Amino acid sequence: MPKLSHSLLKKPPLPSALIKMKLTKPRQERKHTPKPKTTGLYSRAFKQAFVKLDPRHLLKNPVMFLVWVGTIITALVTIEPNLFGNTPGNNPRLFNGLITLILFLTVIFANFAEAVAEGRGKAQADTLRATKSDTNARKLLPNGSIQEVSSTSLRRGDQIKVIAGDIIPADGEVITGVASVDESAITGESAPVLKEPGTDMASSVTGGTRIISDELVIRVTSDPGQGFIDRMIALVEGAARTKTPNEIALTVLLAVLTQVFLVVIATLPTVSVYVKSPVSIAVLIALLVALIPTTIGGLLSAIGIAGMDRVAQFNVIATSGRAVEACGDINTLVLDKTGTITLGNRLAEEFIPVNGHSLDDVAKVALASSIFDETPEGKSIIKLAEKLGGRLNFNPKESAGIEFSAKTRMSGTDLPNGVEIRKGAVDAIKGFVRSRNGQITPELDVAYERVSRLGGTPLAVCQDSDIYGVIYLKDIIKPGIKERFDQMRRMGIKTVMLTGDNRITASVIAQEAGVDDFIAEATPEDKIEVIRNEQAQGKLVAMTGDGTNDAPALAQANVGVAMNSGTQAAKEAANMVDLDSDPTKLIDIVTIGKQLLITRGALTTFSIANDVAKYFAIIPAIFPGIGVGDLNIMGLTSTQSAVLSALIYNALIIPALIPLALTGVKFRPLTADQLLQRNIFIYGLGGVIAPFIAIKVIDVLIAAVGLA
Amino acid sequence: MRYLLPQDVLETLAFISAERYRIPLIIFLIMCFNVLLAPVVAAATPGRVPHWQVYTISLLGLVTVALCVYLFVVIFQPEKF
Repeated sequence: MPKLSHSLLKKPPLPSALIKMKLTKPRQERKHTPKPKTTGLYSRAFKQAFVKLDPRHLLKNPVMFLVWVGTIITALVTIEPNLFGNTPGNNPRLFNGLITLILFLTVIFANFAEAVAEGRGKAQADTLRATKSDTNARKLLPNGSIQEVSSTSLRRGDQIKVIAGDIIPADGEVITGVASVDESAITGESAPVLKEPGTDMASSVTGGTRIISDELVIRVTSDPGQGFIDRMIALVEGAARTKTPNEIALTVLLAVLTQVFLVVIATLPTVSVYVKSPVSIAVLIALLVALIPTTIGGLLSAIGIAGMDRVAQFNVIATSGRAVEACGDINTLVLDKTGTITLGNRLAEEFIPVNGHSLDDVAKVALASSIFDETPEGKSIIKLAEKLGGRLNFNPKESAGIEFSAKTRMSGTDLPNGVEIRKGAVDAIKGFVRSRNGQITPELDVAYERVSRLGGTPLAVCQDSDIYGVIYLKDIIKPGIKERFDQMRRMGIKTVMLTGDNRITASVIAQEAGVDDFIAEATPEDKIEVIRNEQAQGKLVAMTGDGTNDAPALAQANVGVAMNSGTQAAKEAANMVDLDSDPTKLIDIVTIGKQLLITRGALTTFSIANDVAKYFAIIPAIFPGIGVGDLNIMGLTSTQSAVLSALIYNALIIPALIPLALTGVKFRPLTADQLLQRNIFIYGLGGVIAPFIAIKVIDVLIAAVGLA
Repeated sequence: MRYLLPQDVLETLAFISAERYRIPLIIFLIMCFNVLLAPVVAAATPGRVPHWQVYTISLLGLVTVALCVYLFVVIFQPEKF
């Protein structure tokens, strides 16, 4: 197969803003990713709802366990109504039987909600599994020969060779070779990605992707079942899911409320008999179930599972639910400039000669300094230089390329005759020239300021101790980024931009992009310092990164999102990996985290608010003789219909809220106070009013059927 | 007494006896008092309960106590669930 020209391939770090906007869609909406099959989801979930009646499973949910125990007790009093004392009323068996049935359905509905959420996760996991296959791998043995082995026998550290047409059998890092890889099964993007060794951005490959051309030698970085796709499968399936801190706190709250109501109801019979208004056990259990927060108790696990699925749908692997929840509480977002806030493929726009040199001279030196530079910036400098007539007057094969480093902030070429050509940050070039006893012309600062005020990146070029000019690299802010940062600000999240650029360029870009703060001329140590300073103020910090030099900062941040195209060190240090390698994905993850917390809070509020109406329904019905009959403001027909109506509402509200639990409360970019007021109004006040209407309607229907 | 109790129980006791939790603690103690009062009220209520019903009611009481213990375990060690 012919070698593809590298210029035709999409080169990391990132695709264009337009493709990025498409990439923020969930997996289901991407053209090139397989869609999860959801046929038969509800029938499977219904069967699972019965399987989950196992008490060992229900023990994990204290509210539903109590309802289940209540169902058994009411079943016993259906068989023998006087089991725990003489039961007043006509036809107690029918009444007790109906209560038993409704309580049973309450547990079934709660199990069904959880099973639907798990079913959706399993469908997604099956889709991800389809991208993997047990393939053959060409393992490189120490003696240099190749042995064909199964991909499941590969271990961390093994070296494998993959050629055009192969599916990459495991996650790994490229050691040698340059090839184009189709990552559409994972990212949904059809344009192939160039993979090559030695760079922070393009050396990482994911198992399940396909080589289109050329060949690679890869060092395997994960054991079977431990790759990133495997971790994603485990996460969406719920196999590796443990309760998050927020879920644990909510479980404790629900257990406390349940305990309080249990103690109150358990002491009620003696009081009711003493005031000559005896209440049957079935009605007491009905009162208990109506009072305990069964709505949120039944939907809590479904909300958590659906939240993890939403993260996976955005092609993000989270190491735990804790990381996703932490996103919801983020105060500060630390972002790189290039590639995150700007398009990242800065292009050479202009050469500015200084020191008496001509444009031709600058073009020649700029060309020579960039001949070994494979970055998009380097290639654009070469293109502009050639356009302006620049030509090489030496043999590149006899020259040595000097790579860019964050320390030197320069790159260039050492010619065979000893001449050193450099391009880089203006102050770095000044230092280089001074070290070779050169002079700094004031024109350099003028050109530097001019480019900086335009928001561009000025690169100085020199040959030995002679500065030739400044290259103007134009940086374009991504469309829509300013609006996203406004959204962040409304959510109370501060954005901090880090860049190696000078202060003037950084401030122009910062103002144009709308970030709250920026740090210019930043080194990798500065990234950690910014995060530590924010954390010292008690704030939670999120950051994105892909390079090995980002690993300490990713580990330090409360939420670290590594790019899949980044190095293994960055991915291991982070607590999330974005398979789309899109730094702006962090904004989506923060939204999902907040949505998860808001959904739990909203449904808990609704569940507790429902109790108000149930007090007015059941208490006047069960204590008619002690003067609380006036509390029957709904005008319910009888004791029996009041109890049945409240229980039926209690049971039906769970499946009615399943769609909300699975999709989440719609996130609005408002401040915390505004969100609180809005949600208390809708779910608090709505939780108080809705059951009054619903219970009355059910009461009318029960009376019409003749069960009152 | 302090030396007999495990550390986490001591920490919990210190936590709930702090000033800001005085009202919830009082409400909890009133509830516990209510539990103690219930048998006294039952004893003061006229009426006879058949012998076999005493056993079933006692069994129900034991189930209720077991549920209370289970809920306390969930409250103090939620990570187990």
